[in-house]
Amino acid sequence: MSIGSPDSTVGIEDHPASAEPVRTAATPHGKSPSRIAFDRLRKDRIAMICASIVLFFILIAIFAPLLAKLEGQDYSTFHTDLVDEYGYPTIGVNSAHWLGVEPKTGRDNFARWVYGARPSLIIAFLATVVGTIIGVVMGLLAGFLGGWTDRVISWVIDFVLSLPFLLFAIALVPIVESMRGGSFNLTPNEQASIRFYVLIFVLSFFGWAGLARIIRGEVLSLREREFVLAAKAIGVPTRQVLFKELLPNLVAPIVISASLAVPSYVTAEAGLSFLGVGLVEPIPSWGQTIAVATNWFKADPLYLWLPVVGITALVLALALLGDAIRDAFDPKTRR
Amino acid sequence: MLYFVARRLVSALSVVLATLIATFALFFVAPTDPAGAICGDRNCTQQRYQEIKANLHLDQPKVQQFAEYTAGIFTGRDFTTSGVKQHCAAPCLGFSFKNDRPVTDMIKSRFPVTLSLVLGYAVLVLTIGVFVGSMAAKRRGTLGDRALMTSTLVVSSVPYYIVALMVALYLTVLYPILPRGEWTPPSENPGKWFAGMLTPWLVLGIYNCVQYARYSRGSMVETLSEDFIRTARAKGLSDRVITYKHALRSGLIPVVTIFGLDIAASLGGAIFTERIFDLPGLGQLVLDSLNNYDLPVIMGTVLVASVLIVVMNLLVDIGYSLIDPRVRLA
Repeated sequence: MSIGSPDSTVGIEDHPASAEPVRTAATPHGKSPSRIAFDRLRKDRIAMICASIVLFFILIAIFAPLLAKLEGQDYSTFHTDLVDEYGYPTIGVNSAHWLGVEPKTGRDNFARWVYGARPSLIIAFLATVVGTIIGVVMGLLAGFLGGWTDRVISWVIDFVLSLPFLLFAIALVPIVESMRGGSFNLTPNEQASIRFYVLIFVLSFFGWAGLARIIRGEVLSLREREFVLAAKAIGVPTRQVLFKELLPNLVAPIVISASLAVPSYVTAEAGLSFLGVGLVEPIPSWGQTIAVATNWFKADPLYLWLPVVGITALVLALALLGDAIRDAFDPKTRR
Repeated sequence: MLYFVARRLVSALSVVLATLIATFALFFVAPTDPAGAICGDRNCTQQRYQEIKANLHLDQPKVQQFAEYTAGIFTGRDFTTSGVKQHCAAPCLGFSFKNDRPVTDMIKSRFPVTLSLVLGYAVLVLTIGVFVGSMAAKRRGTLGDRALMTSTLVVSSVPYYIVALMVALYLTVLYPILPRGEWTPPSENPGKWFAGMLTPWLVLGIYNCVQYARYSRGSMVETLSEDFIRTARAKGLSDRVITYKHALRSGLIPVVTIFGLDIAASLGGAIFTERIFDLPGLGQLVLDSLNNYDLPVIMGTVLVASVLIVVMNLLVDIGYSLIDPRVRLA
């Protein structure tokens, strides 16, 4: 992190022979704020370590089938021969099962762990994308149009923010399931995929409001600036003003809010699955494994620690990375 | 001032009404089958199904159902179950057919648990959290301050339920250093009540102290750089008097705002804490009801929790405007 050195001298250092930086057509004049922030981020060692941890988990999630194949196991095959009559695994860590097998069912721990990274990341990223898009559009409309639109959208934002998130998430699950015929009539696969979409819906439904409020505030001050007035004066259509003039100025709050949202969604997804209202079998998920593993933790601590380490490492890396991104975009918040 | 309070009151009421409509719509108007869900598919006789349907008044138009539900909150209503007429007294939030009890009774019986939990938690965060935060603000920039702020960032990034679960499993079950979480009414045995609540308090409190330390540090740093603090210093007041008497008083305002909302949210069910430490509070009630599709109970709890948040929000706003008149203009 370089606080003191202005970024405009970077070019000069590269060419000590001349006082003026040599500019070719490829090097644009000056740097965009995002570029400056990105450069700052690249020099932040903690951010880079966290980014590589996040990348590691993303790669695990992408190559989960490959990794499982490499081990020669899959996440759903029962190995009842590997557990004793009380359900305790009779084997530990070995070459066939790299991280042992699950109690009771004897499914392969390693395969379930690598597959477990998938729903966490997919749900968190999808919910972030959906929530961010809704938040940005709502914030832009409320801030720019003002009047009744603003009043209605602001009221909805206040309303959503005053709902108890966790309780609503819990309440929505049985409702959606009974809409689809009740949990008794659903096959496990159907139930699991319904839960998957309910989670994305719930997370993005409660996630957009905070961002919309921030964007609205920013737009309120931006819309009085000269460049917006100029665009309006020469008759640029509203949509173009919103997305071509205003949006580029909102990159910082959007990136910050999205990067802080991802870890909180991973936390929420695993938490809901832990409570039994998130993902269910047969989708392997870390939160749900933790809930099951608490019954076996004395005899089989590895079974519990695998998902615990997975979630903790992933959320910690994402959260610290998000914090570093915020610092990079907004140096005022630096500790 | 009056205008401000009136405006806030109207907007709070509109939010409560919207929540009421939204929850009702979710549970009873959406294409669901509440009676079937309540009855359960495995051993539900047609007669029982019809009875539940008639008792929930599901055969009537939706608007009338809603009117009756709302009226029930203010005047109470009657339900017939298995031929016995049951009265559901004034703040009637529906009737749980699974438990054969009015929802309000169930919430009332669970509320003391959550309340105990939240009270102990409040004491911890407001003392330790705020104290640590102000200490850090006073020693801003020193090694201790930076170490504290980095560690708070790391601790608050680890999901709460992981911390709570690990403490519960390892420190109360495997190595019983701390007493196991359990619920005993304080009127029955205060000592046992305290012992049973101690670990949940500590875990919930210390984890969140971290947040409060951050908030109060930020707010105190800002306050300590204001003019009236310089004046106090110029008058020759001692450092301690300046920090804990002058600065803390105005530095605490934003912290109290967050505190109000936080308490309201926790009262609606500190779900993870209750689940992990096996405390039969409101959060646990919702989870139990979820497992047997007891929709009226879930709906009642969601309503109570939302109203708590709205009321707390309102109180915080009005309190804030009393302390800081600039707020009223916004």
